[in-house]
Amino acid sequence: MTNKLKIYSFLILATIVSSCTSTPQKLPIYGEREAIKKMVNGVEVIDTLYQTIPKFSFLNQDSIIINQDSLNNKIYVADFFFTSCPSICPIMKKQMLRAYDKYKGNTEVKFLSHTIDPKHDSIAVLKNFSNKLGVNAKQWYFLYGDKETVYNLAKNSYMSSTFEDRASPGGIVHSGYFLLVDKNKRIRGAYDGTNEAQVTQMIDDMQVLLNEYQAK
Amino acid sequence: MRNLFFFYCFALIVLAIAVNACVTEQSVKYTRYFADGAQLYKSHCQNCHSATGQGLAQLIPPLTDTLFLRKYRAQLPCIVQYGIADSITIHQQVYHFKMPANPKLAAIDLAKLLTFVTNSFGNKQGLYDISEIENHLKNCR
Repeated sequence: MTNKLKIYSFLILATIVSSCTSTPQKLPIYGEREAIKKMVNGVEVIDTLYQTIPKFSFLNQDSIIINQDSLNNKIYVADFFFTSCPSICPIMKKQMLRAYDKYKGNTEVKFLSHTIDPKHDSIAVLKNFSNKLGVNAKQWYFLYGDKETVYNLAKNSYMSSTFEDRASPGGIVHSGYFLLVDKNKRIRGAYDGTNEAQVTQMIDDMQVLLNEYQAK
Repeated sequence: MRNLFFFYCFALIVLAIAVNACVTEQSVKYTRYFADGAQLYKSHCQNCHSATGQGLAQLIPPLTDTLFLRKYRAQLPCIVQYGIADSITIHQQVYHFKMPANPKLAAIDLAKLLTFVTNSFGNKQGLYDISEIENHLKNCR
């Protein structure tokens, strides 16, 4: 009887422990999706088409063109900011720096910070900002682009709603989100860049995403 | 004999309360300023200067330079109220980024805020009274 009890309690304990240790192996895929029919080896199959980040082309702080080709075979984190922003940007940059420090030198990982104030943030200003932040321009791009284009990209592709608001200090309010994008240009995570816990989650998720490619 | 002992005890307590009352008026003010200042710091300064007063890399200066805070004590209210347009040197490091003005902060807010800042992050410079703030604000350039 006591032996049976021991076995049962062991089984229960084992179940509890194993349910706790099982970690999600894959991140969700965000955005719209649609089913498409395509031919594989002469057989018609249904496949899912996921929303991806559309083509773009911006100049970085070194006046080098950065587009989707620059991000081939990379995962990256994107955010929207402006250098003169006194509200949430310094926190976002501080948090992004944590992620950058973790993946510094990893050739599979890039960081993209789009300015939403090209009027003030010239390429020279961005260069100075990135230097003072002490980051490598080959891994962390500060991107300069036409305001309309950047706003549209943010709003329609990154789900991050950026809009002008004259009433707030700094002139432009934005959502402060970090978007994690995979090698297929799909959004795999959205994190509040002003929230330390969420950014810690992002740093962990980046490793989970990298592991997906390791397995193949 | 027993009565005398109680009398001494009583006298001692009365004395202690009396002394304490003199000290506390100033220290109660300090505590109140400091606590309110911590809240003001959170809503007006922390985003840039961070919760630990460390600032951000070479972009935003830290608030840990006690020598600077002492030397430029008279200018601190001006800096907070009107911001910085050019540059500032902290810990021998030049910072060029513009600091925004805080026109909505009243003298009493500046007193509380600066009492908090000059007594946090490793600084220990005591009460920054509102009368001192008002004086210095007149001399802002």
